[in-house]
Amino acid sequence: MKQNEGKIGIRDYMAIILLTLGSKISDDTPTLLYKTAKNSAWISMLGIALLSLIPILFLLKVFSVHRNKNLHEINVHLFGKVMGNLISMGVLLLGFSSFVLDTSVYVDIIGSMYFTRTPTLALYILMLVVCGYGAKRGIESIGSAAWLTLFYLKATLFLALIFAFTKGNLKFIFPLWGPGTLEIAKTTGSKLSIFADFYYLGIIAPLVSSFKEFRKGTLWAFAIVVVEITAALIIFVILFDFTSIEVISYPFHETILYLSIGFLSNVESMFLPFWLVAAFIRFSFYLYLVVTLFGGIFKIKEFEYLVPVFIVIVLFLGIMPKNLTYTLPYLREMILGILSPLFFILPILMWGMAKLRGDFKREAEQSH
Amino acid sequence: MKQNNLIKLIFLIPFILILTGCWDLKGLDRQVFVIGIGLDVSDEKGKIDITYLIANPEVGTSFAGGGTEEDTVMTVTMRSPDFLSLRHSVNAAVAREISYDLLKVIVVSEELAKDEEFIRFLYSAEKDREIKRNTYLIVTKEKAAEFLSKNDPKFLTRPHKFYENMIQRGIEVGFIPNSELHHFFRVTEEDANLFLATYATTNIRQKEDEYRINEMDALAGDVRIEGETNSANFLGAAVFLEGMMIGTLTGVENRIVMLLHDASSITDILAPIPDPFHEDYELTVRIRKQHNTSVEMNVHDMPSKIHVTLPLTVDVLTDPSMENPVDNKKKVEKLRSTMEEFMETKIMALVEKSQKEFKAEPFGWSLYARKEFKTLKDYMEFDWMRTYPEMKIDVDVEIRFGQFGRQPKTPSYKGIRD
Repeated sequence: MKQNEGKIGIRDYMAIILLTLGSKISDDTPTLLYKTAKNSAWISMLGIALLSLIPILFLLKVFSVHRNKNLHEINVHLFGKVMGNLISMGVLLLGFSSFVLDTSVYVDIIGSMYFTRTPTLALYILMLVVCGYGAKRGIESIGSAAWLTLFYLKATLFLALIFAFTKGNLKFIFPLWGPGTLEIAKTTGSKLSIFADFYYLGIIAPLVSSFKEFRKGTLWAFAIVVVEITAALIIFVILFDFTSIEVISYPFHETILYLSIGFLSNVESMFLPFWLVAAFIRFSFYLYLVVTLFGGIFKIKEFEYLVPVFIVIVLFLGIMPKNLTYTLPYLREMILGILSPLFFILPILMWGMAKLRGDFKREAEQSH
Repeated sequence: MKQNNLIKLIFLIPFILILTGCWDLKGLDRQVFVIGIGLDVSDEKGKIDITYLIANPEVGTSFAGGGTEEDTVMTVTMRSPDFLSLRHSVNAAVAREISYDLLKVIVVSEELAKDEEFIRFLYSAEKDREIKRNTYLIVTKEKAAEFLSKNDPKFLTRPHKFYENMIQRGIEVGFIPNSELHHFFRVTEEDANLFLATYATTNIRQKEDEYRINEMDALAGDVRIEGETNSANFLGAAVFLEGMMIGTLTGVENRIVMLLHDASSITDILAPIPDPFHEDYELTVRIRKQHNTSVEMNVHDMPSKIHVTLPLTVDVLTDPSMENPVDNKKKVEKLRSTMEEFMETKIMALVEKSQKEFKAEPFGWSLYARKEFKTLKDYMEFDWMRTYPEMKIDVDVEIRFGQFGRQPKTPSYKGIRD
């Protein structure tokens, strides 16, 4: 694939992570956390971050000895041809499902909050066509687009959160432990997969200019994203309080609809375009990941031609569930529930296999 | 190569057409903007009478150049189950599409606000995407429809400006509470506190003995303002508990609530208080709050205790008794102690009213109680609303004097009369 021969630098790589993971605060992820952890969602978020660090560090360890292989190739290398392919297929299936669900969440947001009269199908087609175009252009284009828009996106987000903060009342975060430590721990465990994206990042690991940059970029971006999401979770609580936050489906959008900055009363039209751009980049990247993994498993060299096919499949699957508003959270939670243990166990398993096969030793010998 | 780019560019042009949006397209000149929605009780169960206050976009703009003789506003009233379906029903009489994008106020008559069913109707505001959570809630003494049509400001004839400025200024000086729908929903859902809504009326008492209870210690409609001005008064608050109106607060009481509540952004208050040196006169003071109220709470004893300290900076702006308190330490102390006492009794009277009459509080003290508990469950078991009426509350006002007017000293009254 022509456009993919180039590699991306740490700058673009970090920009991609910051956009894809950072925009989780603007979909229904906060709602899923608030549902069980209530006003202590931010504490469970910190718990999730701490726990996620374990698989991420194991993954980085494994990648450190297989610098030219992507996630699928490492799977095959470590688990053998049959098991490796099976694991990759499972990973692909889950990744694909969450892609479908995430896009339908976004379409639901656009449809219910902004363009109420536009048919869902039209919104869906438009979104997928744009994302498909982005995905087909390859990782380099996605990376530079992400870097180009990163500043504006984060600046507007920051502005929105600052204004929300001034409108809120900090005392709403009390009682500190919300529904109790047990509930917080449960939420932490079941929603761990919020950071499962880091596992999928392994698919583009060899495309980052060097392993050193891959590791540095991953860890820094992780730290920034954790701070960002935690801050947003606190700000939504101090703005809406724990009782209202449970009934609000998309707190971020409710926030920008509520805010008025000085004499500007309808500021959501200022935030919406930036948010849309972030969404396009995010889904272009996801689609790119899914297609690359698919191409890897089925040994399709020119996988860029798969993009249109995937778009059509996603479209049909995405509009299939009826009553999006009610089925989506349920399905989302299911996927997150399945992904959570996998995200935690797989990297450790990979590391264990690498250890058994003596990959780390060989590496050490080579470096001497 | 260049030609190639040109062809590409030509292909891009049709996309510009798509940018306007096909389905959600709304022409500015094809909508009318609703500034206020009035809600009234109707005879039919499950339905309410809804009034739209519609602004005429062509009045007051510079390009109209005063050429139009059209009215600035019009009101339409219809019976409807909610204010969503009404948007289309009204088109039987209104020529353009109804838009809520500039909606500023939802006006509710006292009669409907006191109805248990009221929240059923108001909650549809949370469903409509165009109704923003920063819309203000106003309760009127008369029917909302009457209020909207009778209110006819002399200046600021463009209604969105009138309501915006009237409410903002009212909040700044503390005569009316900040009654955004956002707070209404939040407080109602939290189910522990009182929500205060702006109280307004055009129904002003005309008989001499009925008005001027005590300057601003009154509700809208009780204060007579002479001259030709707005026919509506915005003063005081309607008290809501669990989404239902249960009483009212006067303008002064509302100021006290705002002073005590940390979240309110009251900047300064100009108020008359009794002159300790001469019983016939009143001093005007400017009260500023420079630090947050400190609230100490002991929730583990029964009954719980709350100790509130309210730090205020007071500027004494007038001196009608001409006693020159600035010079004399003893006089300053007297001034301080009488003022503190005066405010404490006022505040305690309101606290007592909240405990006895409303059985809930508007001061935001439950937030301090939350800190005392580790989990929501403990807090819920404590049941703030049930325990509040029994609590032992005392309030300390701590006054620091600021300035004494532009010129602190006045000649003594006796000296001049000599």
